[in-house]
Amino acid sequence: MRKIQLIAQRELKERISSRSFLLTALLGPLFVLGLVYALFSLGGSEKQHWNVLIMDKTEIMENKIAPKQDPRFTFHFINEFVEYDQFATLDQFKDYDLAVLINEKIISNKQVIVSYRELPSESIQRRLIYHVERRFEEIMVKQFTDLEVSKFREIKQSMNFSFKNTYDPKNEINHKAAWVGYLFGIGILLFVFLFGMTILRGVANEKSNRVVEVLLASVHPRQLLTGKVIGVGVTALVQFVLWGLIIGVGLYLFRQTFFPDLLDPTLLVEQMSQDVAQQALDKFALTARNYNDFVDLVYRDIHFTNMLLFFVLFFLGAYFFYGSFFAMIGSAMGSESDGQQYIIPISIVLVLSLLSGYYVIYHPQTSLAEILGYLPFTSPVVMMIELSRGFSEGDVWKLYFSLFLIFLAGSILFRLAGRIYKNGILQFGHRLKFRLIIRWLKNS
Amino acid sequence: MLQLEGIFKSYYRQKVLEDVSFDVPSGQIIGLLGPNGAGKTTLIRIINQIIEPDKGYLSLNGKRMTSEHLKNIGYLPEERGLYKTMTVENHALFLGQLRGLPKNDAQEQLDYWLEKFEIEGWRKKRIEELSKGMAQKVQFICAVLHDPDLLILDEPFSGFDPINVDLIRAELNAFRVAGKTIILSTHNMKSVEEICDRAVLIHKGKKIMEGAIHDIRSEHKEGVFSITFTGNMIAFATALWAGYEIISKEVHNDTTFTVYLKMRGENEFNDLLSTLLPAVKIISAQEVLPSMEDVFMKKINAGKEVEHA
Repeated sequence: MRKIQLIAQRELKERISSRSFLLTALLGPLFVLGLVYALFSLGGSEKQHWNVLIMDKTEIMENKIAPKQDPRFTFHFINEFVEYDQFATLDQFKDYDLAVLINEKIISNKQVIVSYRELPSESIQRRLIYHVERRFEEIMVKQFTDLEVSKFREIKQSMNFSFKNTYDPKNEINHKAAWVGYLFGIGILLFVFLFGMTILRGVANEKSNRVVEVLLASVHPRQLLTGKVIGVGVTALVQFVLWGLIIGVGLYLFRQTFFPDLLDPTLLVEQMSQDVAQQALDKFALTARNYNDFVDLVYRDIHFTNMLLFFVLFFLGAYFFYGSFFAMIGSAMGSESDGQQYIIPISIVLVLSLLSGYYVIYHPQTSLAEILGYLPFTSPVVMMIELSRGFSEGDVWKLYFSLFLIFLAGSILFRLAGRIYKNGILQFGHRLKFRLIIRWLKNS
Repeated sequence: MLQLEGIFKSYYRQKVLEDVSFDVPSGQIIGLLGPNGAGKTTLIRIINQIIEPDKGYLSLNGKRMTSEHLKNIGYLPEERGLYKTMTVENHALFLGQLRGLPKNDAQEQLDYWLEKFEIEGWRKKRIEELSKGMAQKVQFICAVLHDPDLLILDEPFSGFDPINVDLIRAELNAFRVAGKTIILSTHNMKSVEEICDRAVLIHKGKKIMEGAIHDIRSEHKEGVFSITFTGNMIAFATALWAGYEIISKEVHNDTTFTVYLKMRGENEFNDLLSTLLPAVKIISAQEVLPSMEDVFMKKINAGKEVEHA
């Protein structure tokens, strides 16, 4: 164990002190942040005017809402409840962009559902919330208190608004979230490829400059390989932590400066208590621009703790799985040029894995998607997509089972890689043939 | 010290070592000889436990060898490699610790060797900054840093200038004096004659000769004598006439020669001297032992002739 630790430490020190490591650790996350900024800045809906249907079955609102005309909204009232699919499909509702459902128990549960055909920008959402909240303040004050509206605002509870796609109210076709999962999956494969190649180059270099002969006189080949794989793996995790920290800080700063949370309840209450709410809203909306839904997705919909935890776990599984292939090639190649051609099949498998993720985004419920979620070649990408969509409680076992399978496959492959490493690492100048690999595999 | 007993090794039906057995006594330098492809490197790898024999066993100090014994072995392979981006110090400490040396002890040993070789200034140099000869020295230090009892050196003098060859040779002698055992694999037969106590010759995976250097050379002597004299070469040749065969001669000046000859028939060394004494003035006369290179060539060629027959 001590020897494995020494080898791993050496690998870690060498990799971390290299210039390329530092450059990747700095430039990589900055590039991602730049990309995120660009996506955030693309702007949301350009729609200037919204037709809003307020479904107020019990007529709590008495068909009234804003005291002053708001040029961005036209409100219509209907004293019945319309199902999502009816609102989505019936001709009579097709001119309404938004439907606000005022349920019968709204006074106690404070829940408001807004159904949209096209997701409004955050500033529009915020403005709609403002109008509904103000109306309910009037209702509450009138019906239940003797307080002034301004006094009531200080003690009132905020209402909970939930925006739902009228065509996908249960959020089943959550492509946006799936794309985020896909990005995480791509991240895993990118890291696996980068650090798999590091293993390959490390093994090949030790082999070609013959330092391996000295090492093998002190340690068992399996210890040497294990130390190397662990060392490079820890390097990857350090790189990943640095990426996480820089991107995390970057996203926090974005939120604090360029893209503040317009729907923050404290902010909302604070602003509504001012008479200049209108100007404040306008000012705020101006600085924040019309956010696109990607902002929402990043700051609200992604459960980063979960995603990052499983990103690391699937990365480790994929790293052992694919890393074993890279180690096999590195130790088996007779010359560097000979080994290069064997990287192509692995690269193809990695690309296929990316394509499988694309397939799963658009065909989530198919049996092929389920199989791809268990195959160690594809599961890191597929499962990150599924995770970003969210698992129901009864389906969580699939995530753990997939994780178990990739670690199982990784450990089996790692053992096989150990055999090839042991037999191939001291062979030089040969042409790498499949038959030779089989022979080495048999020779434990 | 080290015993090899019935070592067999083959790679996919090709026999590389066949029933190789020999002992390496303590405090001696043993030359492991053989032409390219004889199986020397495989044998060295087996002793270093880099690969396992198919059959046979090794024991060190009477005990079957295990991985625990690796800390008693130092190894300098022929194809030498170092991590180019590491510093001399880090590299040596890394290999020393891999051999089981605690870091502090490895540091002490490194200080000792750097001082001994007068290369303290190299400590923080990266390996890629060193010349080939400098790197060779670092590799030698790495091989001996953990003060092994058995040192295995594969072509240790290659790449060194004569001064450094002398330096390494002196160190090897010092090791021998300290009771360490050294296995030296080399093609440099002169080195073998000069520093080895014993030799083992391997050819096509089989041990074909083993023994003390002097014994081996004596066993292969061919009755060649060298006579150095002053006088007339014609008188010398006339005196010998039919009873002797002149093989070669060296002319030192007009009157001084060294002649190599073989005796024919029942003649002995005393007969030779009594034949020559009246004709020339003898400066020296001695029986010539074959060089290790001659023995090596003879044994290998003998093997070839047997094959052709």
